[in-house]
Amino acid sequence: MKFIRRVLLAVSVAGAVAGVIRFKGKGVGAIKQGGWRKVTDPKQN
Amino acid sequence: MIGIVGAGVVGSRVAETLRLFLHQQIYIYDTEQIVAQRLAGRLSGGKSQFSVVDRNTMKSAKVVVLAGPSPQVSMARELLAAGVCVVSTSDDISDCLNLLALSQLATENNATLIVGAASSPGMSGLLVRHLAESFDSIDEVHVALHGTGGPACARQHHRALSGQSIGWHDGEWLRRPAGSGRELCWFPEPVGAYDCYRGELPDPLLLKRAFPELERVTGRVTATRRDRVFSRVPMMIPPQAEGGMGGLRVEVRGMKSGARLVDVIAVAERVGQVAGVVAATTAQAIYKQDIKDIGAHVLGEKSMPSSLLLTQICSAGINLHSFVRA
Repeated sequence: MKFIRRVLLAVSVAGAVAGVIRFKGKGVGAIKQGGWRKVTDPKQN
Repeated sequence: MIGIVGAGVVGSRVAETLRLFLHQQIYIYDTEQIVAQRLAGRLSGGKSQFSVVDRNTMKSAKVVVLAGPSPQVSMARELLAAGVCVVSTSDDISDCLNLLALSQLATENNATLIVGAASSPGMSGLLVRHLAESFDSIDEVHVALHGTGGPACARQHHRALSGQSIGWHDGEWLRRPAGSGRELCWFPEPVGAYDCYRGELPDPLLLKRAFPELERVTGRVTATRRDRVFSRVPMMIPPQAEGGMGGLRVEVRGMKSGARLVDVIAVAERVGQVAGVVAATTAQAIYKQDIKDIGAHVLGEKSMPSSLLLTQICSAGINLHSFVRA
């Protein structure tokens, strides 16, 4: 019983830490400086 | 005459592209004859004549595209021994190495062998050569691939995430576990941004062969968490008949006018479509003697008519996208 309680505690602590990291973590935003342009003639660089 | 071995997704795209190029006589062989007959029946008519033949009859073709699953080395050996030029679409490292080892056999039989003429490898080499022409010198190439072609390609993608990736790093080959080394890569729309991981891809090997001056070469594939978790176990759900929209992104770093420069070029298209068009264009170039060199070669090499191939690939409907900074 004690072992199960410890496992549950460990899982819930790990879950809480993962949740904090996931939601507080710095995400990568969309590229704001640039974009894709179609290459019309591959002979020209 | 040009032959196609394998009538799956890539084989079908090769046949469609050759019909677009108005090639007159095309042989098709598949281990499942009904699949080959269905493809021939669908595309026959007009100026192109498609014939379903047996494995031995393929030896009477001038060029054969191997569009079946890996390994392709035994079929390639058979054809090269008969003096037939071979275009391989293999994307398996050991298969590509075994194919490159057939260079002497190809030379002895006055035949050309193109290894890895698909999307990645293949198109990636042509894109690197295209970008390299605008640099004074290049030293780094990083390739990222999103999506899969047919079921065999999907299985290869699955295996690629569970093996050992190989990359060239400052004068030595580095082996790292596939599925590691996350990097966010941006592909043209509608693909967008995906996390890419190291994969067991032949691209670094073949690119290093085509561009000996490179100091760093890496190959990555996009993958979801599920892909990475289940890559270690056999595929439990059969792959789809064809993957959705794919993408290929090539990043080249080097020097231009004394300054360090990074250039990115990409393709957003179904992987099977890109592979088929690249293989068909290469086969057509050998047939028309635009590629005359005998022995084993890879796309992007200096001796290859890369500019001509890329122009024909674009005229067959593959759009290139260049990344421009604001």
